[in-house]
Amino acid sequence: MDIETCVKVASFLGAGAAMGFGAIGSAVCEGYTAAAANTAISRNPNATGDILTSMLVGQAVTESASIFSLVIAMILLFTPFSSQTLITAAVVLSAGICMGTGALGSGMGSGVAAAEACHGIARQPGASDSIRMNMLVGTAVSQTPAIFALVTSLILLLLDYSSHAPWPTIGAILGAGLASGLGAIGSGVGDGLVASAASRGVARQPEAAGTITKMMLVGQAVTETTAIYGLLISFILMFGNFPATDQIAPGVALFSAGLCMGIGALGPGIGEGLTARNAVDWMSRNSKAIPTITRVMLVGQAVSESTGIYSLVISLILIFVV
Amino acid sequence: MEDLGQVHQLLVHVSGYTLTFNLDVIFYSWIVMGLLLLFGFFTTRKKGMVPHTVQVVGELFVSNLYDLTEDVVGPDLAKTYAPLAIALFLFLLLCNWIGIFPPMEEPTKDLNTTLSMGFLGFVLSHYVGIRSKGIKEYLKGYFEPFFIMMPLNLIGELAKVVSISFRLFGNIMGGSIIIMVVSYLCFSLVLPPFLNAFFGLFVGAIQAFVFTMLTLVYISIQVK
Repeated sequence: MDIETCVKVASFLGAGAAMGFGAIGSAVCEGYTAAAANTAISRNPNATGDILTSMLVGQAVTESASIFSLVIAMILLFTPFSSQTLITAAVVLSAGICMGTGALGSGMGSGVAAAEACHGIARQPGASDSIRMNMLVGTAVSQTPAIFALVTSLILLLLDYSSHAPWPTIGAILGAGLASGLGAIGSGVGDGLVASAASRGVARQPEAAGTITKMMLVGQAVTETTAIYGLLISFILMFGNFPATDQIAPGVALFSAGLCMGIGALGPGIGEGLTARNAVDWMSRNSKAIPTITRVMLVGQAVSESTGIYSLVISLILIFVV
Repeated sequence: MEDLGQVHQLLVHVSGYTLTFNLDVIFYSWIVMGLLLLFGFFTTRKKGMVPHTVQVVGELFVSNLYDLTEDVVGPDLAKTYAPLAIALFLFLLLCNWIGIFPPMEEPTKDLNTTLSMGFLGFVLSHYVGIRSKGIKEYLKGYFEPFFIMMPLNLIGELAKVVSISFRLFGNIMGGSIIIMVVSYLCFSLVLPPFLNAFFGLFVGAIQAFVFTMLTLVYISIQVK
């Protein structure tokens, strides 16, 4: 197989992975949102208009993760790549996988939040404006991990690797894609869980909407941390200039560094999301305990994040020591 | 598309080391600072009990952000840290919004800006922690729950700086790249204004708020 074919094959594979994986999360949870809207309308037919609007707005934001994947897939299919090397093949494959897996979590998370907003409007039609506003903020923040994956894949595509040696660089590039892509899944889902609790909370206690949105943002920000570690490892792998070598080990070490951070970020993302979800949920029920709940939430999230930090440490060791 | 990742840099060689200045970033940060100074000047000029229009806007920012600071760090410390929170929020907000006027670029698109802002919060929160708890109690915090956990606690603290600055940087950078790529694909016809409104105004405001909020939270964690 000559090198042109190799690059072409890789870009087809990348485009397929980007759009294929990228479609899963959004699709599942747009359906979930629509189901929730149906339930909500059945419960409170008078609020049909409001519920329908919220459903459509929520689904539109949920879909943006898939649209990012579509953009990457289009770029992979239609851009003529100027340099035809093995590194280019690795770049296009990695960019596709990164965006595809990165869109999974954000799609799911945003959909869950939108669904809860529909339920909330059925329960409290008077507060539909603040519920919708809260949902919009929450789902927009839930898209952040997908945006990180998009940043990684676009930077991969636009960086100039012509002066790099093929072997360890290929491992680094594939690792970079996995770190951002897989790392975004957990945080995306977790962010969505927090946003869903906030939508429910605003419906339950509309006068506390400001506080709940604020706490939701803090909870989501901490939940995103592991996705940011993934982004960090990707940046180190993408921008580092690793010396050429004939041995297999260095390239594999760089690849596993990305893999380690990507998979290691999965659990903490979801776990921190669960912590923040319950914290935000109970803030709307017990407004006097908000300072205590916040402190317990932050401490709990820090502990659940520690496994993410272990992954970060191992990845850094794999990159710089091994 | 080719100009992505190219930065106007000024390289200064000083005794074997190379100092790099990102001229665009510095220039636009100074524009933001100038605009903020102007805003401050016009809000306080001819101020009175019956506020004029600009004064109302200024008071709105100050009172809302003061309340926010009070919620997070408590009423005792609010007076000390509210000016920081207000200045930080307004600076980051304007930095994120300045990019919607095309030739200008967001200073927060550069990791150096966000990292230095994150570092500011980091240094401040630890200084506050040492001052309120005393150096002994402060150091003891690193050896909890076990002695062996010290390196991990240390990395956890450093990771806070990384996460707070990469979050802002990633969001703003991502938004601007998306706007650029979509404008390139569809020749700036319909979509880019909406994208600018979403990523520039909306996400920019949220991320400026999150950054300010997290800085305050880090301070309040150290105090308690």
